[in-house]
Amino acid sequence: MMKLQNFFKFFLFTFFITFSYTSFSKENINDNVKKLTLELRCMTCQNQSVYDSDSDFAKDIKKIVKEKFKEGLNEKEIKDFLTERYGEYILFKPYFSSKNLLLWLFPFVLLVISMLVFIRNLKKN
Amino acid sequence: MSSIIGFYSLCLSSIISIIVLIPNSITNIKIKNFLFLCRCSTLFVCISFLSLVFAYVNSDFSNFNVFQNSHSDKPLIYKITGVWGNHEGSILLWLCMISIYGLLYSLISKSLNDFKILVLKIQSALFVIFAMFVIFTSNPFLINSILIKEGLGLNPILQDPALAIHPPMLYLGYVGFSLVFSLAIASLLKKNNDQDWIIETRKWSMISWGFLTAGIALGSYWAYYELGWGGWWFWDPVENISLMPWITGLALVHSLIMIRGEQAIEKWIVFLAILCFSLSILGTFLVRSGILTSVHSFASDASRGLFILLIFFLTTGFGFLVFLIKSPTKKNDLNLLFINKTSALIINNILMIIAVLTILLGTIYPIIIEVITNTRVSVGGPYFNSTVLPILLPGFLLMSVAPVLSWQTNKIQKFKIYVIFFIILSAVVCIQSYFTNFNTWGFIGLILGSWIITASIISIFLRFKFSLSLYYIKIINSFIAHIGVGVMIIGITFSSIYQKEYNFNVTVGDKINIDNVVLKFESIDIVEEKNYQSLRANFLLEKKGQLINYIKPGRNYYPVSKMITTEAGIYHDWLKDIYITLGNNNNDVWFIKIYINPLISFIWIGVFIMIFSSIIAILKK
Repeated sequence: MMKLQNFFKFFLFTFFITFSYTSFSKENINDNVKKLTLELRCMTCQNQSVYDSDSDFAKDIKKIVKEKFKEGLNEKEIKDFLTERYGEYILFKPYFSSKNLLLWLFPFVLLVISMLVFIRNLKKN
Repeated sequence: MSSIIGFYSLCLSSIISIIVLIPNSITNIKIKNFLFLCRCSTLFVCISFLSLVFAYVNSDFSNFNVFQNSHSDKPLIYKITGVWGNHEGSILLWLCMISIYGLLYSLISKSLNDFKILVLKIQSALFVIFAMFVIFTSNPFLINSILIKEGLGLNPILQDPALAIHPPMLYLGYVGFSLVFSLAIASLLKKNNDQDWIIETRKWSMISWGFLTAGIALGSYWAYYELGWGGWWFWDPVENISLMPWITGLALVHSLIMIRGEQAIEKWIVFLAILCFSLSILGTFLVRSGILTSVHSFASDASRGLFILLIFFLTTGFGFLVFLIKSPTKKNDLNLLFINKTSALIINNILMIIAVLTILLGTIYPIIIEVITNTRVSVGGPYFNSTVLPILLPGFLLMSVAPVLSWQTNKIQKFKIYVIFFIILSAVVCIQSYFTNFNTWGFIGLILGSWIITASIISIFLRFKFSLSLYYIKIINSFIAHIGVGVMIIGITFSSIYQKEYNFNVTVGDKINIDNVVLKFESIDIVEEKNYQSLRANFLLEKKGQLINYIKPGRNYYPVSKMITTEAGIYHDWLKDIYITLGNNNNDVWFIKIYINPLISFIWIGVFIMIFSSIIAILKK
C-alpha cells in the first residue's frame, strides 16, 4: 500500500512536467503569426502586444511577419530580423542568451537549490 | 477654508504621533492617556481626509489638487472617488488607513499592555514617515494662487464604478500589511514567549489578504471591460507589483496555519511579514516614481520617487536589521516527511516565494539592464507564463490533497478512493480533449482545476459529517478556499486558451452568425450624458430566432479632457461571455472585433469563493 502511494505521488509530479513539453497540434501560417505577434511589443502603445493592438505600427509588423512566414523564414529568423531593426525592446520574451542568463536561469536554479535543501532535510528526519 | 482645516489637522495629527513615539521612561505616560493620544491622531487625520473629500464634493477650485483633478460637471460619485484618483489624495487615503488600522488594533486586541503599546508605537512611526511624505512632497491642500472657476477634470478612464472602489480596496490590503509588519517587529523586540501575537497576525494578515484579493480582482475586471483588449490580465508591471505582496501574503497566511500543528516557524513568519510590507512599499515606489511604463503612471515625479525609495530603505532596512539581530532563537524541529502536512506547507511556501522573486526579477530586469548597458529590453507576459506557471504547477497539484494530509504521519486516509477518482477524472478529461482541439496547457489546466475541486469535495464528504451550520462551514473552510482556486484555474484555462476571436466589417442591418448565435446590427446611437457623449452600436443577440439580449459596445467622448474611452459591450452568461469592441468606421462600415470568452465567469466566481472563505477564516477563532 505504501509503495503504491509513493509511486502515485511521484507519478503525479512527473506526469505534468513531462506532459507540458509535448504537443500534437497542427500549425498553419495564421497560427504562427498569432503566436509570434503575441510575443512582440507594440512599440507605440502602452504595454500591449502587436497582436492585440490596432495601431499603425502593429498593423505594419503583422504584415511583415506574415510576409516573412510566406517567404519561408522560421520564427527565429523573423525575430532576428525584427530585433535588428527595432532592438531587443520589441521582444516581450527576451532571448535565452548569455546576456539574459540571469533572467532565465534564476527561477529554475532557485527551484532546484531549494528542492535539494528540502530533500536533505527530509532525509535527516 | 477646507484646505486650511485639512492641512492643519494633518500637521496636528503628525505632531501627536511624534509625541506618542517618545519613550515611556521619559514621559511616564499611562496606558489610558497613551491610547487617547493615538485616537486623537486618528481623529485628526480622518478630519483631514474628510475635508479633502468636502473640497472635492463642493468643487472648491481654490484647492490646487481639486482644480487639477475635478470638474463641476462630474456626477457626485466620481467627485468623491476623484479624491483617490490622483497621487496626493490617494497617499492621504493610505495615511488615513495606517492610522485606522492602528485604531482598530487597539480596540480589538487583547494583548498585554506592553506589547500593545509597542505595536502602536511602530504603527505611529510608520504613520509619521508617510505623513512627512505627504506634507513635503505630495500635499493635497495647496492653494491656487489665482481665482479659478472650473477644474481640469478627472481622467475619464477612472470614471468607472469598479475603478471607484478599486484603490480603497487595494490600499486596505497594502496598508493592512503595515500592521502585520508592526506586529512582527514588536514580537522581535519584545521576545515574549507566548504566541498571542501569532494569532493576531493571522487575523490581520487574513483581513489584508482578503482586501488585496478584492482589490486586484476589481482591477482586472475593470481591465477586462474597459481596455477592450479581450483579456483581463496582462502582466503589466503594476499588476505584477500587486501580485507580489498578494502571493507573499498567501504564503504568510498558509505558514500561520502551522501553529495548529504546533510547529510554528516564527522566524519564517516574521520574515514573510516584513517582506509583505516591504513589497507593498516597493510597489508604490515603482509605480509613483514613473520608472516603469504602465497604465498607472499617472503621477510620476522624480523627487517623490526618491522619497519613497528612502522610506523603502528605512522601513525595510530597519525591519530586516531587527530581524537579523533579534531573530527568534527557539528552534522547532520540523516534522518533515514525504509527504505530510508540514512538508506540503513548506513546499507551497518555497514555491510561492520563488514565484514572487521571479516576478520581481522580471519586473525590474528592464530597469537593471537599462542602467547597466543602456539598452532597452522588455519582459512581458510570455516570459512570466513560461517561468511562473511551471514553478507554481506542483504547488497547485499539492493543494488538492494538502488539507487532508496529517501532521504526524504520511498516510492518507482512504487513499484508494482518491486514486480511483483521479483515474476516472483523467479518463474523462482525456476523452474530452480528444474530441475538442487538443492543447497541452488546456489539458493541464482542466485536469488540475477539476482535480482540485474533486479532491476537495471527496475530502469534505469523507471527513466531516454534513450539517447546515456555521461551525461546519468553518471546519471545511480550507477546502472551500481551494475549490475557489480550482474553479478559477478552470476559468483561466478556458478563457485564455479556448478564446475565439472574429473580425468583421459591418453596416447597419447586417447579421452575423457565430457560435450558434446571431448578432444583428440594429443601429448606431449617439447620446448626450451628463459629462460625456456616448456612441453606441446596438446589437441584438438572438438564439434560434429568439431575442436574448442587447449588446452595446461603443466609445465615450469626454469634452473636458478631450479624451475618448472604449467601452466594450459584453453579454455575460454562466458559460461564456460574448465580448464586442467597436473600432473605426469608414463611411457607414464599422470595424468590430468579437471575442467569445468561454467560462470566464468562473474566474470571478472563484475569486468570490476565495474572498468568502477569507471572511470565514477571519471569523474563525
